[in-house]
Amino acid sequence: MLELADVHTYYGNIRALRGLSLAVQAGEIVTLIGANGAGKTTTLRTILGTVRPRRGRVSFNGHRLDTLTTDRIVRLGIAQSPEGRRIFPRMTVLENLELGAFARRDRAAIAPDFERVFTLFPRLRERVAQQGGTLSGGEQQMLAIGRALMARPTLLLLDEPSMGLSPILVDTIFQVLRDINRQGTTILLVEQNARMALRVAHRGYVIQTGRIVVQDAAAELLRSDLVRKTYLGEK
Amino acid sequence: MRRASGWTALAAALVLYPFVDRALGLHTIHAVSDGMVYVLLALGLNIVVGYAGLLDLGYAAFFAIGAYAMALLNSPLLGSPLYGHAWSFWLCIWAAAAVSALLGVVIGAPTLRVRGDYLAIITLGFGEIIPVAIRNLGDITVEIGGWRPIERLNLTGGENGVNPVGRPYLPGVSFETDPAPWYFLILVIGALSVWAMSRLQDSRLGRAWMAIREDETAADCTGVNPISTKLLAFALGAWFSGFAGSVYAAKLQAITPGAFEFQVSIMLLCMVVLGGTGSLKGVILGGMLITVFDRVLLSQTTFFVRWVGRTIGIPALTTADLTLWRWFFFGLGLVLVMLVRPQGLAGRRVRPIAVVDDVDQPTVQEAAPAARAESIPPWLRERVQRGGGPESAPILEVRGLTKRFGGVIALNGVDLSIPRGAIVGLIGPNGAGKTTFFNVVTGLLRLDGGRITFDGASVVGLRPNAIVARGIARTFQSIRLFPHLTALDNVLVGQHCRLTATVTGGMFRTPAVVAEEARARARARELLAFVGLGGKGADLARNLAYGDQRRLEIARALATEPRLLLLDEPSAGMNPRETETLTELIGLLRRELALSVLLIEHHMEVVMGISDRITVLDYGTRIAEGGPQEIQRHPRVIEAYLGTGYEDELAARRGAR
Repeated sequence: MLELADVHTYYGNIRALRGLSLAVQAGEIVTLIGANGAGKTTTLRTILGTVRPRRGRVSFNGHRLDTLTTDRIVRLGIAQSPEGRRIFPRMTVLENLELGAFARRDRAAIAPDFERVFTLFPRLRERVAQQGGTLSGGEQQMLAIGRALMARPTLLLLDEPSMGLSPILVDTIFQVLRDINRQGTTILLVEQNARMALRVAHRGYVIQTGRIVVQDAAAELLRSDLVRKTYLGEK
Repeated sequence: MRRASGWTALAAALVLYPFVDRALGLHTIHAVSDGMVYVLLALGLNIVVGYAGLLDLGYAAFFAIGAYAMALLNSPLLGSPLYGHAWSFWLCIWAAAAVSALLGVVIGAPTLRVRGDYLAIITLGFGEIIPVAIRNLGDITVEIGGWRPIERLNLTGGENGVNPVGRPYLPGVSFETDPAPWYFLILVIGALSVWAMSRLQDSRLGRAWMAIREDETAADCTGVNPISTKLLAFALGAWFSGFAGSVYAAKLQAITPGAFEFQVSIMLLCMVVLGGTGSLKGVILGGMLITVFDRVLLSQTTFFVRWVGRTIGIPALTTADLTLWRWFFFGLGLVLVMLVRPQGLAGRRVRPIAVVDDVDQPTVQEAAPAARAESIPPWLRERVQRGGGPESAPILEVRGLTKRFGGVIALNGVDLSIPRGAIVGLIGPNGAGKTTFFNVVTGLLRLDGGRITFDGASVVGLRPNAIVARGIARTFQSIRLFPHLTALDNVLVGQHCRLTATVTGGMFRTPAVVAEEARARARARELLAFVGLGGKGADLARNLAYGDQRRLEIARALATEPRLLLLDEPSAGMNPRETETLTELIGLLRRELALSVLLIEHHMEVVMGISDRITVLDYGTRIAEGGPQEIQRHPRVIEAYLGTGYEDELAARRGAR
């Protein structure tokens, strides 16, 4: 479904991605783990067209993404829950969700999607008229994912959804990700919390200084020495 | 060496210019020296806008105050006793500067609580009020009942202005129609002002200004008093405009309110922006360019255009006057500068540090060097450990803390006690009130009820920077460094509340101040080395890697020599390796320095690993308090916060070890 082939992305003169290649098949949950500054967010930005690669190819269901503008990419069926949530603070929960569906043409089908989001995140239903900026971190994360889901994406990108969340909420979010995936959405998950990410994903990629160093089934990665020492903090 | 030769060349050019002008018969000295007054004003504005980051759109008000202060002190209008003596000008220029500084504080005071756009609007307002006030204070009548205590008092000369204004007197030099003495007078005043400003820029006050400019809240929580720092910016900015206004008034011999309209404020802002906000050389360059353009180029071009008109025979051109178009050109120039080179001619575009393009990299990245007990700076050890109450009394005692936001109760009678030298964890779901708790303890928010006692004394009602001086330091959930300052400067700002250099001390570099600065710098370098940022002192904070930024924030907090350290999610966004290093650092601080720590964290390995006690908040209420083992098993905590998955995770980890 999604393929990055030998992507090199630069910020000015600095090369952030050095020949990165990865693929996501339809129906999978794939996770990208790595340290800060390794290039995880840059990978997502490259996919979404926020930065353009200097070399390499990004394709989605046969379409070339690296030549399109971000809004066209989103209309093809990709949505994102960005790092730091980035919900619209002075708009209500409902308005944030409505904006998630902004690019959709099928107006009639939007209403049931609100229901779907509220079923996944009952807390949001309680706070539907509250301003986004007054929600707690966990609630904002739910809203960010809900907003992305309102676009009815075929591919959902998540950037560090567990950051700053309490353990119980992390459990909830990852449970919801499993549910969303079972309902048919493909997920590319960028995470610092490697353990949770590898437990929920089918396959995983490990990125270091802009390139993939290991890729494998998630269960295998959980067992690998490299991952355990570097990313799971085990001795 | 190169920098010194640049200044020398400039100085030589400036000194020789009048002679060149006379030799070539250019007759531009008069116009240029008027222009130089504006350059001096722009330098004063640079203190307010460039150093302290306060957008002042009405700086002409300070110009007017300086000019009128000189004019009224040194003219017969008000019957000033200072008028008519040989030393009149030399005394009055200092008096005018002092009056300007005072009024600068008055104008600055209402802007203290507001930021950005609103500050600009207030200063814009004053820029309009001052000339209007001057115009109308030429004819003051006060009537109470039938009594007129003040009748037709002429305070400012009104629309007609003030004249004559006393000239400077130097034996052998005539300050009359020959422009050269005026030129050199302004040059000398300008040179002394630039010297003073460059000294200030590199002093304790200069750093405080820049900290305020970068992030006022973070500066406040690092020990910089934003109120006095901002007022000093206005006062000193106005002081130099006092000099400029004085020379202007004496040179023109007559001043009228019409010379201080809004366009003057804009032209001064153009000089600062064109040259490069914050850069002395830039502002001088920008100022001189605009002066030359305005006072030489436009008029000379007008002559040329008229000559063309006469020669070719186009009557419209023969009466053209390009000087009337100056504001159009200034506006156009400002737009172009913003589009093409927003940092100004001499400004530094902030570039990310160059990364060496390594093809071969080890597959396992090295974490930052772990902090070691030996690298703890000895002065820090001594500072932190001395002082304080009896060993048994808690260092922080919070009782019944309540905080409301409108109808929402964010903190509901929270009790918390930190024993001396202990690490206390503060955990709870998002929105439970943990950061609010920090904000109330550090003085950013006012409490609605309860007591906070630090080392036996109440800290309720103190400003954040005062609380830092007492010995409580903090870091922020989202990192709040001063992004455009170097790592070293960030840490030096932390030392601000422990240094005593005054404005005059910083300007004149007394031996005591020089020694103090050297000591502060050495300490800052030791702190950087201690947290593992040894070679990175000269890097801009915004260019540092994420983990480095977190550690820099801790180094900055340690620079305030705290006895209690409040850490807000210090390991957010860190992977387990980095988290482990951080945990060791915190443990080291407690072990070696007996530093007390209050820690908000979501990473359970950190909290459970090093906390002596843990307090759990939920919806603003304390739901549990105890040791890590107790808390992990506490049913309410598991229900609200940890979840059952956590127990499995702990088991899995123990099994894997």
